[in-house]
Amino acid sequence: MATRTDQVVGFGLVVFSLVIFIYYTIWVIILPFIDSDHIIHTYFLPREYAIIIPLAAGLVLLLFVGLFITYVMLKNRKPAKKTN
Amino acid sequence: MTRLEKWMSTLLVLMLIWLCLVQDLLNLGYSKKFHDVILSLPVYLLVTAGSYLLGTLGFRLANFNDCEEAAQELFMQIQEAQADLSSKGLIL
Repeated sequence: MATRTDQVVGFGLVVFSLVIFIYYTIWVIILPFIDSDHIIHTYFLPREYAIIIPLAAGLVLLLFVGLFITYVMLKNRKPAKKTN
Repeated sequence: MTRLEKWMSTLLVLMLIWLCLVQDLLNLGYSKKFHDVILSLPVYLLVTAGSYLLGTLGFRLANFNDCEEAAQELFMQIQEAQADLSSKGLIL
């Protein structure tokens, strides 16, 4: 069974992803059609960051995935060499 | 059609539609604001897919379950196999 911690972390992830989706939709799709002097614009970064932040986050994620795979493969190769 | 081909062709079609919209090949003549929104649609798709996957991951984690019936069945089968093998003279 999923423990209490699993459930808290799982639903936390669901809420987090929903928040990201709603915030990003408002930022990218709705905000250009609202007057630029409206108060809502103070809650969002300039529009360039809507492109830069996801791309940078994606690159960092790919970097970490690559580092992890490299680490695991290097770790698994050493015992095989000793037996030879 | 493999899964990879399916995804690749879907992405290709989406990309062609997006290119048509960016270059305004249909001469819809929309405003600058619409053009800005259309330009950022690929990154929007990326963010949407990412948050959907994260949400799915969280939901599955929260509803993670033991398969007690399957464990019971497997245990029964192991016992059956052991009984069968020892009746044929194999020492376990």
